[in-house]
Amino acid sequence: MSIDKTKYDALVVGGGIAGQEAALSLADMDYKVLLVEKDLSIGGKMIHLSKVFPTLDCAACITTPKMSETARHPNINLLLNTNILEIEKDNGIFSIALTIRPKYVKEDLCTGCQLCEWVCPVIVDDGFNNNMVGRKAISIAFNLANPKVAAIDMNHCIKCKKCEIACVPKAIDYSMQPQNISIETKTVIISTGFNLFKPENKPQYGYGKYPNVIDAMQMDRLIAPTRPYNSVVRPGDGKIPDKIAYVLCTGSRDTSIENAIGCSVDCANNPICSQICCMYSIKQAQLLMGALPLADITIYYMDIRAFGKGYEEFYQQAKGMGVSFIKGKIAKITQKDHNSGDLILRYEDVTTGTLKEAKHDLVVLSVGVLPNNEIAKVFTNQKLELDDQRFIKQVDELLSPSLTSIEGVFVAGTAAGPKDIPDSILSAGSAASEAASYINNI
Amino acid sequence: MSTETFSPKILVFSTDKISDPGIDQAGLRKLHYSPSVYVISLPCSSGIKPRWIMRAFKQGFDGVFIAADGHECSYSPKCAEHTNTIIVESQKMMKENNINPKRIRMAALCSVCAEPFVSHMGNFSKILSELGSLETEVYKAQ
Amino acid sequence: MKQRIGVYICHCGGNISDYVDVEQLGKLMAKENGVLISKNVMFACSDSTQKEIEQDIEENKLDSIVVASCSPKLHTHTFRNVAIRAGLNPYNYTQVNIREQCSWAHSDKPMDATIKAYGLIRAGINRVSYSEVLESLEISAQKVVAIIGAGVAGMRAAVDLARMDNQVYLIEKGNTVGGHVAQAGRLFPTNENGKEVVDRLYQRIRQQSNITLFTNATLEKVSGSIGNFWIEVKLGSEELKLNVGSVLVTTGFDFYDPKEGEFGYRLSDRVITLPDFNKMVENSKGKLIHNGKSVKSVAYIYCVGNRQSKGENRYCSRQCCTAAIHSSLHVHEKFEDMTAYHLFRDIRTYGKQELLYQQSSKNGDIYIRFEEKEPPVVELKNGNPTIKVKDYLTTKRELTLDTDLVVLVTGMVPRTDSNSVSSKLKIPIGIDRFFNEIHPKLKPVETVIKGVYIGGACQGPKNINESVQSALSGAAKINATLKSGNINLEPIIARVNADSCLWCGKCAEVCEYDAISSIANGGKLIAEVNKATCKGCGICAPTCPSNAIELAQFTDNEIESMIDGLMSKAEISPRVESQQNNQKAGVQSLAGYPKIWRTIANALEGNTLTIPQIAEKIDQEASLVTWHLMTMNRYGFVESAGLNDNEDYFMYKLKK
Ligand SMILES: Cc1cc2nc3c(=O)[nH]c(=O)nc-3n(C[C@H](O)[C@H](O)[C@H](O)COP(=O)(O)OP(=O)(O)OC[C@H]3O[C@@H](n4cnc5c(N)ncnc54)[C@H](O)[C@@H]3O)c2cc1C
Ligand SMILES: Cc1cc2nc3c(=O)[nH]c(=O)nc-3n(C[C@H](O)[C@H](O)[C@H](O)COP(=O)(O)OP(=O)(O)OC[C@H]3O[C@@H](n4cnc5c(N)ncnc54)[C@H](O)[C@@H]3O)c2cc1C
Ligand code: SF4
Ligand code: SF4
Ligand code: SF4
Repeated sequence: MSIDKTKYDALVVGGGIAGQEAALSLADMDYKVLLVEKDLSIGGKMIHLSKVFPTLDCAACITTPKMSETARHPNINLLLNTNILEIEKDNGIFSIALTIRPKYVKEDLCTGCQLCEWVCPVIVDDGFNNNMVGRKAISIAFNLANPKVAAIDMNHCIKCKKCEIACVPKAIDYSMQPQNISIETKTVIISTGFNLFKPENKPQYGYGKYPNVIDAMQMDRLIAPTRPYNSVVRPGDGKIPDKIAYVLCTGSRDTSIENAIGCSVDCANNPICSQICCMYSIKQAQLLMGALPLADITIYYMDIRAFGKGYEEFYQQAKGMGVSFIKGKIAKITQKDHNSGDLILRYEDVTTGTLKEAKHDLVVLSVGVLPNNEIAKVFTNQKLELDDQRFIKQVDELLSPSLTSIEGVFVAGTAAGPKDIPDSILSAGSAASEAASYINNI
Repeated sequence: MSTETFSPKILVFSTDKISDPGIDQAGLRKLHYSPSVYVISLPCSSGIKPRWIMRAFKQGFDGVFIAADGHECSYSPKCAEHTNTIIVESQKMMKENNINPKRIRMAALCSVCAEPFVSHMGNFSKILSELGSLETEVYKAQ
Repeated sequence: MKQRIGVYICHCGGNISDYVDVEQLGKLMAKENGVLISKNVMFACSDSTQKEIEQDIEENKLDSIVVASCSPKLHTHTFRNVAIRAGLNPYNYTQVNIREQCSWAHSDKPMDATIKAYGLIRAGINRVSYSEVLESLEISAQKVVAIIGAGVAGMRAAVDLARMDNQVYLIEKGNTVGGHVAQAGRLFPTNENGKEVVDRLYQRIRQQSNITLFTNATLEKVSGSIGNFWIEVKLGSEELKLNVGSVLVTTGFDFYDPKEGEFGYRLSDRVITLPDFNKMVENSKGKLIHNGKSVKSVAYIYCVGNRQSKGENRYCSRQCCTAAIHSSLHVHEKFEDMTAYHLFRDIRTYGKQELLYQQSSKNGDIYIRFEEKEPPVVELKNGNPTIKVKDYLTTKRELTLDTDLVVLVTGMVPRTDSNSVSSKLKIPIGIDRFFNEIHPKLKPVETVIKGVYIGGACQGPKNINESVQSALSGAAKINATLKSGNINLEPIIARVNADSCLWCGKCAEVCEYDAISSIANGGKLIAEVNKATCKGCGICAPTCPSNAIELAQFTDNEIESMIDGLMSKAEISPRVESQQNNQKAGVQSLAGYPKIWRTIANALEGNTLTIPQIAEKIDQEASLVTWHLMTMNRYGFVESAGLNDNEDYFMYKLKK
C-alpha cells in the first residue's frame, strides 16, 4: 500500500463480518482505513460457522470473498495479532497506540505452505475448533485464514527447530519482539463483536463435566465442511448421535446465575434475549437432519423468535422436516451413567404443566450473546459509555444507530447488541455512512 | 486398454467464486484425486457452451463434470435450471455423436466442499471406467 | 495470436517443485509457439521476481505473460499489477494453478502431476495467445440521487447522502413527510414521540441545501441505467424529468387491514387495530376513553394477518410484539387500574426488547398462549366482545375473557402500489411480496438493477432503528459508486457479433439484469449489451442459436484452445534427481509426539477399532482418546475404516 501508514481517515477495530463490511464500505468511498484485529486472521465468528440461516448458504462461501477483498483493498491496511493500547482524542484527531504481537514467522516470507505444521511434534488445543481437537504449536489459524501465515504458540513451543529447518523461504524467527506503533485517525469504528456465554456458568447443565454436553458453536464446527472430525460424532466417545437435544436460552433471558466463572455476576446474568440462538438452533437442526437422517432432534424453547425476513418460513420448514419443538425450560441435566455417556434432561413441559424427563445422547446448549466491551477501557481522555447491558451505548438509537458517546466514534455490528449476520452487515453499512458524513464535514 | 490401467480423463468446469475454491481446498488438504482430472473455471456454470463440451470429447476427454453453484450462485436464482438446460442440450449433441449421455454430470459444490469433490471424482471415474474410453465407445457405435 | 509470450513457472519453494518437475517443464515451454521467454522462479510472488517479470516485459516487449503457480484466487491481482506497472494490459496475463489443483492434489503421483502441469500450462499459453486488450469501462455518473419515499428511512438516507456531497431529490407521494412514524405517538425503545422524531429529522433535511423535497409527487417513468437514470415525476399538473446517478427506494409498508369479521373486526366498534388503539392512547387524558366509554381492560390478540401457515402472509412482522407490549406499558403508566391480556403465539421481543416484556409481566399483564390451530374466538353480544381461548401455558385450559376492548396486533404488509413501483424500477418482488434484495448477506440493499437500491420497511418488516440502518447502508453503497463522478466497470462483459446475430431475443430472456435489448443495425435488429448493467455472468452465451454472443475473456477461442492445450501430448522424461527429499510430508515417525499417540498407535497396530474399544484397551477416558485420535487423523497418522456392525461408531486404523 502506498499510503502514509501513520495517518488514516478511519480506524476499524475488529475484523468480523461487521468490521470487514465497514472497512470495505469506507475504502470504496476512497477513505484510508486501518483495520486492527486481535486474532491471527480476520473473519470473526462467522468464519467458524457451517451454513447460515435462513438461506442455508455456506458461511465460508460468503465470508472468504469478503475477507480477500478486505485484505487486498488498496485503501485498507490490515494489522493482525494486534492490540490497541490507548486511544486519545485531541483537537478532533484520535491518536492510537498499538502493539503488534509477534507471530515468530515473517509474514512477507511465509507462503502458507504448512510444511512447518506437518513437522512440528507439539500438540495444543485448536481454538478454531473450540478445543474439540488438537493442532500443532506452529500452524495456520485455520484453512481459510486471511492472511494465510503461520504463527507459533510460544507458550508451548519447545524450540526443537524442526519448523525452522522445514521452512524453505526461511520465514521462522524465534527472536521476534512485539512492535509498538502509533497512528492518527479522524474516526474510529468499533466492531469488536460479542462474547459467547460460558456454559460453565450454568453448572446444572453439566457443561465441562459431561463430555456430551456441548455448546452451539461446537455444534456449528461439527457440521461445518471444515469440521474437526470426519463426521458428526460425540466428542465424548466418537458415537454417531441419534437423539439430540437443544436447550435454548442458555444464558439468555436469565437472571438466576450465581457464582459466575471468569467474570463478575453482572456480566453472566443476562436478562435480554440473544436474538440469534433460536434461529441458529433451527438451522443446525435442519443441517443435522441432512447429515444424520436417522437422528431425532428436539428443541426445548421458551418462545421461538423467528422474526426476520424468511425466518418464520424457515421455522415452519424445520417443523415440516420433523424437528420436535417442546415448550419447556430445562431445570437440570445429568449423565445417565459414565459408560453410555447419555444424558437425562429434567424439564417442565409448559403445555401439559408436568415435570418430565427425557434421555438424549447429545445435548447442545444454545448459548447467548454477551457484550465484549474491553475496548471501552482504552479511551484515555474520553468516556465510551456502555448501556445497561454493558454493550457500547447507542446515543441516538432511532435516527443515528451508530453514534456513540464520543463524537467521531461509531459502533457497528454486535458490539452494540445482539444481531444476526444480515443485521450486523446493515449496521456496519450504516456506521460507514455516518462516519463518512462526519469526516466529510470536519 | 484394460480397465485396470485406464484412468478416465475428466474435464471439470468450475466457477470462479464458489466451486473452484472448493476444488482448491481438496488440493490444500492433500485429498488426492485422479491426476487425469483437469479444471477450467468460469464466472458461472450457466455460461458453459455445449460446443465446448463437444470440443472436450473430441479432444479425448472421457467425461465432463460441471461443478455448479446450486442456489449459492450470485448471478441468477435460476442458475441450476439454466445449467441443466445446457446439459440437456449437450446430451442431445452427444447422442448424435454416439457418446453415452452418462459421460456428463453435474453437482453443486461449495467453496469448502473438498471431500464431496473428491468423492464425486471417484464415483465419476468409476462410471467412466465401466463405460470404457470414449474412443472405443464411439468406435464401437460406428 | 501472441508472438512474445513470457512464461514463469514457480517452484513455490518446493510446494510445487517437490512433485512437479518444473525445470523440465520450463525447458519444454520454451519451445512452444509464441513463447519468447520461459523461466523457473523460486517464488513468483516475491518482490524480486515481480521486478524481474516487469523488466522482462519492458526489455523484451513481451505481449503477454503466463504465470504458473498457485491458485488464481491468491495472486491474480498481484500479477495484473505487475503487468500494469510494466505497461502491459492486465488482461494479457493468465494465471495457471499448478499448486492447489496439481502438485498438492497429486502429491502422491509426481510423474502424473508433471504431465498434468504440462497440459495446464499449455492451456494457459493457448489462452493467453487469444487474450485481448481490454479496457475497464468508465461511465460518467451524476452525483445526484433520487430517493423514493420520505418516511424515516428515506429522510435519514437523504441527510447522509447530502452530507457526503450528493445532490438529493426526495420524492414523496403524500403531502407530508415521515411516513408511519409521523403518525405514531410514543415509540419503543426510546420513548420518544413519533412526531418529534420526524420533526427532528425534518430540521436536519432543511439544513442541507442540496436536498430538494417534492411532496405530492408521483413516480411516472424511469429510464436509463446506473450513472444516468431519468426519473419522470408528476407534481400536480407539472412534469419533471430528473437526471440521477442512482435511486434509493424507501417506500415503506402498509398496515395490515383485517378483513371484516376477522376476530370480530368491523362487526363491533370495540375491536380495533393496534395503530388505532395507539392513537386513542395518545389522545386520551386521565382516563382511557373509547367512543365515550372508559376502558379498563384490554385484550391484545397477536399475529393478526401474520404467520399464517396457510394464508397469504406467512412471514412474521418482526416489530408488532414489541409494539403491542410497549403500548401496554404506556397504558399502564398513563392510566390507573388497567388489566391487560396478551393472547400471543410466541413473544418475539428479541434482543434488548426483552426488557419491555419483563416489565410488562412485572406490571401484572396476563399472558395467554394460543396456537395457530386453535386461535381465540371473539364472540359478540350486542357489540360486546367475549373471547374464548385455550391457554397453552396452563394445560390448554379454556378461558373466557370479557374485556372492554379487543386490540388486534396487526403487522406489516407490502404497499398496495408496490407492484407499480417494482415494474417501473424493475425491482424483483419476493415470495412475501416485499421488494427483494439480491442476497440477504452479500448484497442486502442492492437489487438486480445496478444503481437501484432498497432500504427500510419496503424490503421487509423492520422497526425504525433497523429501517434507518438499512437505508444508510444503501446510502453508503450509493456514495461509493458515485463518489468520483465516474464509475469504473470490469470489462468482462458480454458482446454481440453483429453479423451473425438474428435478434431472436433468447439472450435477453435469460439475462437477470435486463442488460440486453435490441437495436437497429445495418437494416436488421440485433442484440445490444448495456455495458453498464451487464454483470459478466455469461448466462446469455449458451442460449444463442447462432452463437452470436460471447463473454470477453471466455470466448470460444480462449476456452476451446485451453481444452486443446490440456490434452496436448507431452514427451516427459522421468525426473533425473531422485525423489529422496520428498519424504518430509509423508512418512513421519511418532518420536517426539505425545506418549498417548504412541499408545494409541500400538493399540491400532494390525487392528481396526472404535474409540470406546481403544479407550478400554489402553485404559484411558474415551473423551481423551477422541481428542487425540481426531488430531492424529487430522495429521495423517490414522484414518477412518468405516462403520462398525451396529453402525453407531466409526472404526479407525493406522494410515500407512
Ligand atoms: C453458534 C452460532 C451460530 C450462528 N449462526 C448464524 C447463522 O446461521 N446466521 C446468522 O445470520 N448469524 C449466525 N450467528 C451470528 C453471527 O455469528 C453474528 O451475527 C456475527 O458473527 C456478528 O459479527 P460481528 O462482526 O459483529 O462480531 P464477531 O464475529 O464477534 O467479530 C468481532 C471481531 O473483532 C475482533 N475483536 C474483538 N475485540 C477486539 C479488540 N479489542 N481489538 C481488536 N479486535 C477485536 C474479534 O477477534 C473478531 O474478529 C451465529 C452465532 C453463533 C454463536
Ligand atoms: C403499529 C406499529 C407500531 C410501531 N411502533 C414502532 C415503535 O414504537 N418503534 C419503532 O422503532 N418502530 C415502530 N414501528 C415500525 C415503524 O413504523 C417502521 O419501522 C417505519 O415506519 C419504517 O419506515 P419506512 O421509512 O421504511 O416506511 P414508511 O414509514 O412506510 O414510509 C414510507 C414513505 O414512503 C412514501 N411512499 C410510499 N410509496 C411511495 C411512492 N410510490 N412514491 C413516493 N412515495 C411513496 C410513503 O408515503 C411514506 O411517506 C411500528 C409499526 C407498526 C405497524
Ligand atoms: S434467540 Fe431464542 S434462544 Fe436465543 S435468547 Fe432469544 S429466545 Fe432465547
Ligand atoms: S412480531 Fe410477534 S405479533 Fe408480530 S407477527 Fe411476529 S410473532 Fe406475531
Ligand atoms: S453476461 Fe450475464 S449479465 Fe451480461 S448480458 Fe449476459 S446474461 Fe446478462
